[in-house]
Amino acid sequence: MVIYINGTGCISHQNTIDVDTFLGNSQITCQPLLLAQEPDYKDYVPANMLRRMSHIIKMGIVAAKISLQQAELENVDAIITGTGLGCFEDTDKFLKTIIENNEQLLTPTSFIQSTHNTVAGQIALLIKCHNYNFTYTQQGLSFESALIDADMFLNENKNSNVLVGGLDEAIQPYYDLLVKAGHIKKQEDIITEIEKNKTKGFCLGEGASFFVLSNQKNKTTKAQIKGVKTYAAIKGSDDLKNQLAIFLQELNLSINDISLLLPGNSGDVEDDKILNENNKQLFSKTDIVYFKNLCGEFFTASAFALWLASTIVEKQRIPKTLMHNNNKELKNILIINQYRNTEYSFMCVSSC
Amino acid sequence: MENLIENLKKQIIEQLNLAEVKPYDIDASAPLFGEGLGLDSIDALELIVLLEKNYGLKIQEPKDAKNIFQSVKTLAEYISSHKK
Amino acid sequence: MVFVTGIGTISAIGKNVSETLSSLLESRTGIGKINHLQTIHKDNYVAGEVNYSLQELENLAGLKNSNYNRTTLLSLLATQEALTSAGIKDASTYRTGFISASSVGGMSHSELLYKDFLEHNPHENFIDTHYTGAHATDVAKHFGITDYVTTISTACSSAANAIMLGARLINNNILDRVIVGGADALCKFTFNGFNTLMILDKEWCKPFDNNRKGLNLGEGAAYLVLESERVVKAENKKIIAVLSGYGNANDAFHQTASSPDGQGAYAAMQKALEVANFFSNKIDYINAHGTGTANNDSSEAAAIQNIFKKNIPPFSSTKSFTGHTLAAAASIEAVISILSIQNNTIFPNLNCVTPMQDTTLFPVTSLQKNTEINHVLSNSFGFGGNCSSLIFSRN
Repeated sequence: MVIYINGTGCISHQNTIDVDTFLGNSQITCQPLLLAQEPDYKDYVPANMLRRMSHIIKMGIVAAKISLQQAELENVDAIITGTGLGCFEDTDKFLKTIIENNEQLLTPTSFIQSTHNTVAGQIALLIKCHNYNFTYTQQGLSFESALIDADMFLNENKNSNVLVGGLDEAIQPYYDLLVKAGHIKKQEDIITEIEKNKTKGFCLGEGASFFVLSNQKNKTTKAQIKGVKTYAAIKGSDDLKNQLAIFLQELNLSINDISLLLPGNSGDVEDDKILNENNKQLFSKTDIVYFKNLCGEFFTASAFALWLASTIVEKQRIPKTLMHNNNKELKNILIINQYRNTEYSFMCVSSC
Repeated sequence: MENLIENLKKQIIEQLNLAEVKPYDIDASAPLFGEGLGLDSIDALELIVLLEKNYGLKIQEPKDAKNIFQSVKTLAEYISSHKK
Repeated sequence: MVFVTGIGTISAIGKNVSETLSSLLESRTGIGKINHLQTIHKDNYVAGEVNYSLQELENLAGLKNSNYNRTTLLSLLATQEALTSAGIKDASTYRTGFISASSVGGMSHSELLYKDFLEHNPHENFIDTHYTGAHATDVAKHFGITDYVTTISTACSSAANAIMLGARLINNNILDRVIVGGADALCKFTFNGFNTLMILDKEWCKPFDNNRKGLNLGEGAAYLVLESERVVKAENKKIIAVLSGYGNANDAFHQTASSPDGQGAYAAMQKALEVANFFSNKIDYINAHGTGTANNDSSEAAAIQNIFKKNIPPFSSTKSFTGHTLAAAASIEAVISILSIQNNTIFPNLNCVTPMQDTTLFPVTSLQKNTEINHVLSNSFGFGGNCSSLIFSRN
């Protein structure tokens, strides 16, 4: 697999729109709900279109637009998105009105925009893209599914550009549902060092990360993706180790070739168990940066990790707030993500 | 009639989330769809619900909406002639 | 080459492939009175319900206290039939994937519990099964499929994209075998949603009729087993059909409405023909999207006209049997397309009487037996401009 990342756009709990300072002001926020820092959407989207857009649509469209600007492109050959939760704000709105109005006097806008493919469709509408258009929703593997598709698409269509994005929103009713289900960490249990957690639960985050991918390297190229793989059900620590060995072997890499590891620890003591064992046993000599304390846990947090990895590789710099004294060459970054300790994925990002 | 037109303008802005538009921006005789406010078929469905909710008037056929929703004025005329 | 070696389906016209075929051959629609969906509109509308309660579906699947929602059970039943018909007992012998499609996932369950949640009185943790992809996780787990699992949600074209993705994963040598399709259960959410759009016909839908008033909603699931040439040879598999073409495009015209000339539909059909690498005149039958809405049928007719010019193949919309089963529609219609090839029969477009004024196209309205059918084009379009076309061929 040789995929070049030629543009990125990221909206997250951190200020990821200002790429120049690159997380210079980043902070680990000890809160159970990590909402995105939003730009002034009017700078990016015509007001007449903006009036109907929900939170996730706005985040998605702006992240997509920024990535296209960076890649110096106005259109692409494919738009592929992944979202675990979909458009929950509109889903909640419509569902609530059904219940409150007893199925009467309902309006269509929130229903229309409740479908998972809304954002990919809106991007197509905005840039007038009549090409391939796909939306995946497989909880913690939603974004990776999109990325695997992009790889196939580039393989099938030489000299093409693909816009890929992972996005999810953390709106209040969803957060409330997760609290009721016991998935959210209690405020008093939240600590800054996510890997040292001894309690259950995670902090919910949100965001949209988009990438312009191509198999052509050019002047805007930031990094390359060497491999992506998903695992629907990992059966314990040994299984993860075996799968990782196979993954690295296919890329002709060994553990020693990994300059930096980004593990998807969510802060839940149970769910992180396998990852922590793995980090200790295989990566004791590797630099590790955790990312879910920056962006929060959500289905497509791995898209934020890919943005972080590609920016680190491009700038050859790890933000000081994440790691002090790093002067090593940053050649290969490995992302090992997990969602609820069942769905796992590997992504390898390299300099070029 | 004047009152009805002013109320309608406010209700349309609220229902369609036209945050950038003020009531005095809307010309009561100007077309609501295409040019003018630039509304589309989804807005038409929203307006059908507005009519039912605020004025108890039910439009059964989406086709009929076309004539009624030409402008704020035609809408007001429809309401005043059909309201019980 | 990608081969279809197994099929399974459940919908308003039958709980398996053989019941489905009987209904089609007898021109018996499954659309009727609403029995299971608890909506205040149930007496004023018709729908294509799967005529089993949640409990009955669970019994059919041979499960007890599974806690699965309706979408998951429909998915599981159709997958079970597809695997059995492909003679697959162990899913771990080859690199095997499960790709599903759904628009609402666990909504039929969530919407019943949401009120309690809103009233701060939740009695069940439903959020974990609400996610649209959750049914795929459960069904894949049930059958021991782990190599690749994903769900596609591109509104009413979802299952076509699941089928297309499966073929591409085989062609790209990522998987050897993949179960592809979709499932959607009727729920108040979608029912009321389509009602706000004022595109539900209160009586039987009349696709491609000049006086059509809208669509009827349906529910169901269908899955195909796709296998590579290598697997088919090694296992000496009986081939049911070949998936010879697929195309995906976006109309990029409007959030919900199709463009008048069906630009996206045209592009999807064109791409499918390119992948199949043959001219349009080889298509013997089109299983149209044909929802029965004014907008879709005009737009689709225009796109078909532009592709096939003067040689319009026979076409019909079998949504007049099943109702519009949304994310499952393309997989149910894939099964129907394959049945059409297997039986050399064109299944009729029910309830269409008056030709449309804006086109010369008119669907097949009665059962056409003994018609040689080698290649079938199946169309599926959805909100968000998503348009997909598949071509199934005789081996």
